[in-house]
Amino acid sequence: METEIAEKIEPPASLRADRRLGFSDRALFILIVFVLFVALAVVLLLSAGMGATRIGLREVLGSLLHGHRSQSTDSVILFDIRLPRVFASALVGAALSVAGLLFQGLFRNPMADPYVIGSSGGAALGAGIGLFLLPRFSFLGFGATATMAFIGSVATIALVYWLARIGGRVPVVTLLLAGFAVSTMLSYSTYFLVVLDDNFGLRTRVLASWLTGVIAVPRWSQLEVTALMIGCGLIFCFPLARRLNTLALGEDYARQVGVQVERTHLAIILTGSLITAAAVSLGGVISFVGLIVPHMARLVLGPDHVRLLPVTAIAGAIFLVLADTLARTVLAPSEIPVGLLTAFIGGPFFLYLLRRTRREYAF
Amino acid sequence: MTPLLQFVDVSFSYQQHLVLNDVSFSIEAGECGALIGPNGVGKTTLLRLAAGVLACSRGTVSLAGRGLHALGRGEAARLVALVPQRFEVPFDFTVEQIVEQGRTPYLGLFAGFKHRDRQAVERALGLADVTSLRNRIFNELSGGERQRVKIALGLAQEPRLLLLDEPTQNLDLGRQLELLDSIHALHKEGVTILAAMHDLQLIPGTFSSVLLLEPDQEARKGRPADILRPDILERAFDCPLRRHPKLVSENQVTLEKTP
Repeated sequence: METEIAEKIEPPASLRADRRLGFSDRALFILIVFVLFVALAVVLLLSAGMGATRIGLREVLGSLLHGHRSQSTDSVILFDIRLPRVFASALVGAALSVAGLLFQGLFRNPMADPYVIGSSGGAALGAGIGLFLLPRFSFLGFGATATMAFIGSVATIALVYWLARIGGRVPVVTLLLAGFAVSTMLSYSTYFLVVLDDNFGLRTRVLASWLTGVIAVPRWSQLEVTALMIGCGLIFCFPLARRLNTLALGEDYARQVGVQVERTHLAIILTGSLITAAAVSLGGVISFVGLIVPHMARLVLGPDHVRLLPVTAIAGAIFLVLADTLARTVLAPSEIPVGLLTAFIGGPFFLYLLRRTRREYAF
Repeated sequence: MTPLLQFVDVSFSYQQHLVLNDVSFSIEAGECGALIGPNGVGKTTLLRLAAGVLACSRGTVSLAGRGLHALGRGEAARLVALVPQRFEVPFDFTVEQIVEQGRTPYLGLFAGFKHRDRQAVERALGLADVTSLRNRIFNELSGGERQRVKIALGLAQEPRLLLLDEPTQNLDLGRQLELLDSIHALHKEGVTILAAMHDLQLIPGTFSSVLLLEPDQEARKGRPADILRPDILERAFDCPLRRHPKLVSENQVTLEKTP
């Protein structure tokens, strides 16, 4: 048949057509990861030097290389204030962005963010309870707000997952809706706590700033705990990222190629929620990062979750370190909530990327 | 010889609704079978049971002599692949990225793609004749191209049995014939095939056997010429073919077509 002959005459497998750039996708990916890593290191060093007291890059590098703090004021500021805060924002940015990537992939929903199944509502109520009812509580160096926010976040996810479970299965639509309902109820319970508070002053303001996101200066012990949690979570994300690619082709298909769909969903939800809760305990509820960083990465790299994962993590870290640096320097000595800045910087850049892509952005 | 796929008294119901009742049949290695039957008789359900996506309520489904329930999900997925009818892909996945997903049953949680997996993907792309489409975005392909990519996806699993659910659906005549050529070529390569087919006229010449499912009747299997007879089809599809002279003549044309 003629059609058969026509189809046999095709370019050999080695001759790959329409490559975006002159070199292979893989090389481009490795280059992007490398450049992002270098950029993260530079951003970390520079922003550690910025603030009310400027510390030069050479001094920052010197102090870091010697490893030991001296008695000088600069050194104390660097080790006790700047570095913890800068590392904390990097961790929070990476965690929220990766959680956003996981949930957008799982729910196949472009509006999904790290708080989509209720983390933020639970965290808010937890923080409220911690602040109003248990002000003296502390655990592993975390204050009442942070600890209770973490607990509230995890407990809410467990509750939502249990509520959404129907006949041994947890349909993603039910999960989203249950998460939304529970989260809203808990958020308004928090406002109720605020209304009940007789001295409307300081505590309410602390809670409000906490709900728009402020990365406090953590103790090193706090950093260690959250870094461990987020680090483990990120490592565990790699096999999950591959599963997300398979799940994107449909649950039925995934089941057919041997994926334990329900178990995988649970693993994704647990991992995403734990790293979100860890991030919340450091920085409160920071909006926008977890929503747009995964989209930015997808616009540049395409939909393969395995490649998106490292890029999203590093880009999220860079993004939040930049935002937090601006948050504490623009109007110094007063601080702007970092959530506000993420929207101000992230929004335009995201819109620019969205309009610049040649192809319609498919989700 | 043990049949590659065997159903023994298999029943399945969705909640209260009984879809398959005591279905028994077997498919030998090397067969190219067409699964036919009226709408709603459970063709898709049967394929999903055979692929292990669903578990039967009663009876046993065995692959190569071993019960599906006894095989792990991963092991079953290395024996049988199902090319689904409906297949929607969010995101801009390329053809190659999609076909790579077929290697899932062979990959450990943390292990990456090995040379062996790469080879299987290349072979699947080649067999389904989509090598030249590898860097195209799946959602931008035509219906016929998508169908062939789906077959490549199934082949990447390196299954001994390939199940196809309505592979010619929504294709124009030329694309249907091309697809039948692909199925024929796969069969020649030694892949055992069971395909749910709606268009009975496409069966003779490509398929070596026909499995007919009828409501409330035992499944029947035979050579195409033995099953695709007006009297049998009339009863199975509940339509008086003789009163539609056009249909009868068309059926006769297909029956006379030589392989």
